[in-house]
Amino acid sequence: MQGKGYREIWAGPKGPAQEGGPVRRARLAKPAGFAYGGIPLEHVIEVQNLTKTYGDVTAVSHVTLSVRKGELFGLLGPNGSGKTTMIKCLTGQLKPTEGAVRVMGIDAVEEPVRVRELVGITPEQETPPSFLTAEEYLRFVGHIRKIPDIGEQVSFWFDFLEFGDKRDVLCKDLSRGTRQKLMVAQAFLHRPGLVLIDEPLINLDPLMQRRIKDYLVGYVKGGGTVFISTHILGIAEEICTRIGIIHRGNLVRQGTVEELRAASRSIEEAFLDATRGERPDA
Amino acid sequence: MQPAGSGPMRELFRKSPAGIPKGESPGANAEDNSPSENRQAEGLVVNRRGETPVVILSKRVLTNSLFEAMLKEEWRIHSTMFGSAGFALFPLLLVAIATAGALMWPFFSDLLPPLTAVGLLHGGYLLAGMSVGGFGLFGREVMNRRFGQASLIAYSSRSLPVSERAILTAFLLKDTVYYLAFWVLPFVAGLAFAAPFIGLPLPLVLRLAATLSLSFLLGLSLVFLLSTIYVHSPRALLALFIVAVGAAIILAGPVNAGIVGLFPPLGLYYQPTPLLLLVTLLLIIVPSAISVRFLKVEYREETRRYPGTLDNLAGRLAWLPDPYLVAKDALDLNRSEGGAGKVVFSFLFPVAFIWIALFVLHRFIPMLSPLMAFAILLGVVSSTIYNWVTEFDLFSSHAFLPVEVKTVIRGKLESYGLLNLVSVAILVAAGLGTGQAGLLLPALLTFASLSFYAVAVTVYVGGLSPSVMLYNAKVYVPYLGLITPVLLFTLFVSLPNPWFALTSLVLIPAGWFVLKKAFTKWSTVEQPGF
Repeated sequence: MQGKGYREIWAGPKGPAQEGGPVRRARLAKPAGFAYGGIPLEHVIEVQNLTKTYGDVTAVSHVTLSVRKGELFGLLGPNGSGKTTMIKCLTGQLKPTEGAVRVMGIDAVEEPVRVRELVGITPEQETPPSFLTAEEYLRFVGHIRKIPDIGEQVSFWFDFLEFGDKRDVLCKDLSRGTRQKLMVAQAFLHRPGLVLIDEPLINLDPLMQRRIKDYLVGYVKGGGTVFISTHILGIAEEICTRIGIIHRGNLVRQGTVEELRAASRSIEEAFLDATRGERPDA
Repeated sequence: MQPAGSGPMRELFRKSPAGIPKGESPGANAEDNSPSENRQAEGLVVNRRGETPVVILSKRVLTNSLFEAMLKEEWRIHSTMFGSAGFALFPLLLVAIATAGALMWPFFSDLLPPLTAVGLLHGGYLLAGMSVGGFGLFGREVMNRRFGQASLIAYSSRSLPVSERAILTAFLLKDTVYYLAFWVLPFVAGLAFAAPFIGLPLPLVLRLAATLSLSFLLGLSLVFLLSTIYVHSPRALLALFIVAVGAAIILAGPVNAGIVGLFPPLGLYYQPTPLLLLVTLLLIIVPSAISVRFLKVEYREETRRYPGTLDNLAGRLAWLPDPYLVAKDALDLNRSEGGAGKVVFSFLFPVAFIWIALFVLHRFIPMLSPLMAFAILLGVVSSTIYNWVTEFDLFSSHAFLPVEVKTVIRGKLESYGLLNLVSVAILVAAGLGTGQAGLLLPALLTFASLSFYAVAVTVYVGGLSPSVMLYNAKVYVPYLGLITPVLLFTLFVSLPNPWFALTSLVLIPAGWFVLKKAFTKWSTVEQPGF
């Protein structure tokens, strides 16, 4: 990618389509629900009192949160703290037990498919269909998302994430790192305004981690919004503009990186303070 | 599901004799496991080479622990998929089916002679043993699909200091105990409950318990042997197959060994002699021992590459509502183990069995139209094709895309419709081949009605995971309740006049109604993740 300017790289061939095509504009133009009930439109994620339980287990408990357009929001939390459940509720993959979720101005409970049309999602587990090749999978996603220039997009991502030599390999035979690249690529194919990424860099080598981190920062600078969940503090501290810390399903801290640092000296200290209840050295 | 390395497996490696420094890893490499350098201590073997002591387990303790861990693992696989209560009900369902079948036996004994029924039972348990063994050895693909990157203890020899031989030994023991307890004993218990009412002597029931168990174990050990031979040399397997067929022909022909020689467990049922028992046991133990002794494990590391064909295929299917979903199903079937042929062959076997059985039945029930009865049964059996098209992906692969559950189900039904052309071809061939072309039209319509209704019911009860859900007794009973009366009624009305089977056309709107209910049901519930 050497020689390309930063803005050329982050946006892919055409850059993010924050407001999307005509259908999307028409839907967003209509005032609806609590998006216009006191919460400014620039909030692309609005969560009020979200609770999700599985039987007796409360995975997410009474979380209220909003993410503004152009933010790179990091949801930090230990393993099993409710991060993945949170993302699944935000994208309509799970129905909240209680509370309201609005993403891109759309009720994620009432119109989950519509939400998933507008946003890109990289799930925690890389689960592309086993018997499609990497390229076939991206084209499959392109068809579902009705992307007209899918060939151009696919080529860009194979080049950018440097896995073009794997384009004809069955997904089940790809390494975990390559599958993660594939899942990152599929989330950005349609140039969404908002991308939600669950543990974005966990299987990637340091060089590729750097490249994706730079891409996410550039993506946000170009007008996109990113919501990542991770338990790797360094990622959050390095690239996020605002951070929420979730612990045992509760959103226990929230603020800009500077605010959290000011309160606890560092993000690590803020994280340890927030989760101290269950740590042996507490 | 319990991953390898946790639960009993973790306990297995926690056991540490006094004197082993705390914190030393039990992980051993192959060189360090030389038995000659080991000293046994309370079931554990301590290897001290240089400065790095390594703990491994004696064979007996290892096999016992593996066996226990595998038993728990097998239970947790099933209870994870079906729910503990649901799976625990499965043996009870078998008891109920066996009891009901035995109680109804007097009504059907003229149609299906006892000797044939007993033979079919033994054959069924032989096949069950083969399928259990086959799944254990080749089921990794299915497991990974169900559980993501599944790791069974059976595949753990690369990451744990356990030999493949120890694993296979424990695996054989586990399959033997687990499936005898879950599949064979409940069936025999059901027969035992009904025995006093139908005049079946209890000793005969006990004999059946023994010979059915032996049939199951024979199937299990045969699959292990065949897979062992195959790994060493596919040609040797072919040669063995030819020799086996030749031996069967000689035994059946010149030697006139009868069923005793061809299928010893069944022979043992008819003529329980110590010699035949010994032969049967040898036929089980020797192949198993050979499998363990000559075990060779090959972990396939190959990377499969294909030119992109999805777009082309979807283009050819553009006349369907969901061409990309159907094209993906086609590629799944074609590129998975066994290729598309596995669907056809797994389907042809029961279909051929039904066709032959119907001609046998026709001798006892002359008013039965074999072609029409075949069309009716084919319609229900064809619905199992839906299990195949849902076998290779989970909704979780699509959950983060803008696609609804009902759209994915619709795509599966389109794939199902295309694959049903195989059934149509079979039915047409059967009609023309038996000179019943005049009945072909009503037979085809009846087939289509039954097939549509049966798949609608399958979708309703099983959604996108019927092959998993239908093992759950709580799901299987309603499935049987919705299918069986319809099947029996259509068969019954076709007896006086095969054209009366066209009453089954009413199943098309009924199936449509069930399908709409199914779409609503699966769109409102969260998809099971297994």
